[in-house]
Amino acid sequence: MTGSPFDRLRERLAEVSDLTKAATLLVWDQRVMMPPGGAEARAEALGTVSRLAQERFIDDEVGRLLEELRGLEESSGYDSFEASLIRTTRREYEKATRVSPELVGEMRRASALGLSAWGPAKESSDFEQLRPHLEAQLELRHRYVSCFPAGDETYDVLLDDYEPLMKTAEVRQVFTELKDELVPMIEEIRDAGDVDDSFLRGEFDPATQRKLGLEIVRAFGYSEDEWRLDETGHPFMTTPGAGDIRLTSNFRPHDLSSLFATMHEFGHGVYEWGVDRSLARTPLHTGVSLAVHESQSRTWENLVGRSRAFWRWFYPRLQQAFAAQFGSIDEETFYRAVNKVQPSLIRIDADEVTYNLHIILRFELEQDLIDGRLAIPDLPDAWNARMDEYLAVDVPDAARGVLQDMHWAGGALGYFPTYALGNVISVQIWERALEDLGDLDERFERGEFGDLREWLRQHLYTLGARYTPQETIERVTGSRIDAKPYLRYLREKLAPQVA
Amino acid sequence: MSRPVDSSPLDRLKSILGEIADVQHAEAVADWDSRVSMPPDGAEARANVVATLTRIAHERFVSDEVGELLAELDGVADETDAALVRLTRHEWDRARRVPSDLAAEMAHAAGVAVAAWDKAKAASDFASFVPHLERQLELKLRYIDCFPDIEKPYDVLLDDYEEGMTTAEVQRVFDRLKEVLVPLIANRRDGGVALEGRFPVERQQEAGVRVLDAFGYDPQTWRIDETPHPFASKPGAGDIRLTTHTDAGDLTSLFSTMHEFGHGVYEADVDARLARTPLARGTSSAIHESQSRMWENLVGRSRGFWRWFYPQLQPLFPEALGSVDEEAFVRAVSAIRPGLIRGDADEATYGLHIILRFELEQELLAGKLAIRDLPETWNARMQEYLGVDVPDDAHGVLQDMHWSIGLFGYFPTYQLGNVASVQIWEVARRDLGDLEEQFARGEFSPLREWLREHVYRHGSVYPPRELLRRVTGSDLDPEPYLQYLQTKFA
Repeated sequence: MTGSPFDRLRERLAEVSDLTKAATLLVWDQRVMMPPGGAEARAEALGTVSRLAQERFIDDEVGRLLEELRGLEESSGYDSFEASLIRTTRREYEKATRVSPELVGEMRRASALGLSAWGPAKESSDFEQLRPHLEAQLELRHRYVSCFPAGDETYDVLLDDYEPLMKTAEVRQVFTELKDELVPMIEEIRDAGDVDDSFLRGEFDPATQRKLGLEIVRAFGYSEDEWRLDETGHPFMTTPGAGDIRLTSNFRPHDLSSLFATMHEFGHGVYEWGVDRSLARTPLHTGVSLAVHESQSRTWENLVGRSRAFWRWFYPRLQQAFAAQFGSIDEETFYRAVNKVQPSLIRIDADEVTYNLHIILRFELEQDLIDGRLAIPDLPDAWNARMDEYLAVDVPDAARGVLQDMHWAGGALGYFPTYALGNVISVQIWERALEDLGDLDERFERGEFGDLREWLRQHLYTLGARYTPQETIERVTGSRIDAKPYLRYLREKLAPQVA
Repeated sequence: MSRPVDSSPLDRLKSILGEIADVQHAEAVADWDSRVSMPPDGAEARANVVATLTRIAHERFVSDEVGELLAELDGVADETDAALVRLTRHEWDRARRVPSDLAAEMAHAAGVAVAAWDKAKAASDFASFVPHLERQLELKLRYIDCFPDIEKPYDVLLDDYEEGMTTAEVQRVFDRLKEVLVPLIANRRDGGVALEGRFPVERQQEAGVRVLDAFGYDPQTWRIDETPHPFASKPGAGDIRLTTHTDAGDLTSLFSTMHEFGHGVYEADVDARLARTPLARGTSSAIHESQSRMWENLVGRSRGFWRWFYPQLQPLFPEALGSVDEEAFVRAVSAIRPGLIRGDADEATYGLHIILRFELEQELLAGKLAIRDLPETWNARMQEYLGVDVPDDAHGVLQDMHWSIGLFGYFPTYQLGNVASVQIWEVARRDLGDLEEQFARGEFSPLREWLREHVYRHGSVYPPRELLRRVTGSDLDPEPYLQYLQTKFA
């Protein structure tokens, strides 16, 4: 081994990053390209590559280097690349080395088994099929939690995997504020009468949807040199390397949800795209947390993509592409339809307002499960009761209830809150951008999104994971996570519907 | 590593080789993706990923542990296990000679150079490619230096693709080919009518899918995509990927589809029990090429095949083929037409494209030819062997990607594949009777099944020379191939 300890750390982290990117590509390929017959060999390959990445990261050599580098970390400024890299790596290393490779292997296997059971269970709407897997997951989560020193709340440990350093108490406070305001708001909207959105269902040629989606994201900043867009059942974004941003969308023939899914995934993609390239092949070359990531997907999907100004620009184009469907629908009617608030069963189809209650419900149930207040067999009943309480909807079957999401089947407890936190953060950042840039509507109406993208790049994206999520949010917005701007935004936007 | 310590040496060896196969699986996907789906700006990051995967696989493989296990397993009884130990030992001995850093440098340089080649070819700009080619040559020479006991430098390279093959043997086969082919071509320079007109891309793709269906393509385990340079890849068992290139100006996509099918079917039909071992792939580049050539030429350019398929093809292209009868069509797809591009060359002239590269590679490695003089030498020799003028480097020295990814010593295997294909074909015909009649009925499964039984299922259990002997009873022999050409083009 040659080079300074810092060089050696970088070299090791680059190797781990390369292996992680290889695994990322294997997953993308599996979901987008691979013939079904390749599944078994792919599972083996993915298992090996992920394990190699993990083994190389938790290696004692990394621990020794981190010790040797304490001096460098202290003598470099907090904002320096060196200090940021050492600090972030140390935190991740200390977390990763607490968990035995055996437990990691067990969790990975249980996750694969749970996910493969989830599909058929949902298909046949049979909770009983998934129950043993959920019980196994819960048991594994308890073992995982016990690897860490007891904190304020058990759930803190789970949350930390997706939202580093976020505390359950802080999430609860934000969510309580949301719930207190949103539940009555939804009732008011319900009483105010129906918004007609029937014209959003019909025949929409998938190839045309794809073309329109591309037109939109090109205006946002997508380019063929660095991006691609494919179709999958569940839309996602992934980056198998710097300069290689991959989106997927779901071009369903009977609605236009793909346009919003495409903008949503663009938001995730542009965050990764904008991270300072000099951070490549380090753990800093990524969005800082799931919630901050989600704030960007929501920004481009909702704050931009459901705004009046955006549709002033794009509606004529959409109308022209689907003339039979929209010929007699004016822009205002269309705008109100894509912003319609209506309680429903499925989280991923939910509107901007009710979406948060889907999340709060999951956040509460997850805590009840991990704290032992709720047993897995009682989960469907608890789910259905709370759907009635928060959204006043009757859940007709488990497929459209507790089985709708794959997260728990794969062992991802503590993930859901990040979605709603993303909504909250998105408006905090948005308000700061508007302060600096002034009114963006005129620019959006002309199809110009470059100023916004550039502002976000300079203030947020470029930072990557140099700082903790909280530090990142505070640097960009000047405050901690705060529900008020988001609630203000919803109230203003929905005033016509409520009034 | 979570292997139980008390497992047998064979299990431990297989576990390590399985892990390496998994890393190579990732490499195969990374490579396929970079050619089919990667946005261009992802190239640099991808080169890093591939270099790391290559290095990790290499380090794991050349470990002392593997050497110790091989020593313990010396003389293992089971035939397949013995083959695994033999092949692993051969590759381990070779890989031990190559430092990990050099292996990683080679992988990284290849990723960078292939992107440079792409641009250079598009702009027909050889000068921009020179530094990359120099780098590749330098790396190859360093690689050759790792094998001081092998007398002829070019033998070192050949052995990577064709175990046990020597420059002298190739030279002997190629001398004989040149002796017959140069006059054969000179006498037939006017032969054949060219197919002209428009062949819409979707129609060609439809025709390709019909042919593949009849050959035995299964969408559960195969896929086919478009790339500028067709290739076949098997990331893992049950995952066979072909690519083809469809140009509306001609029908070559059909032949490249059949060609890649031949590579794909060889890999698809390797015995499933060999998966995740080094035995789970075709035994050599030449034997692989013998199968792509068999399906492309011996099947795909045969009269029997077109008796079956021409009535289906003709209605797809009424404008271009409406007035072309089956006889004229078969003559046209088998015409001798000296041209510039190896990939488009007919069965007779193809060999000379290869012989030219084989000669230039040896001259480059021996320092007898400077890289800057390469285009001129290329063009002069194209004139000498094929009587064609090379208008620019895109149609000359820049046409193939091989050198950009460090594939020196690879080209000869293409032509050796042609030679071997007819040797194997003759045995198949002896066993199966009149293949042309079966093809005329659209029946290809007896041939595929015969090939599976005699060639494909064995994977790399037998080294190429041994496999060829088992199937044909002889070593590489150019005479059946020459006879086939002379009969066909008489």
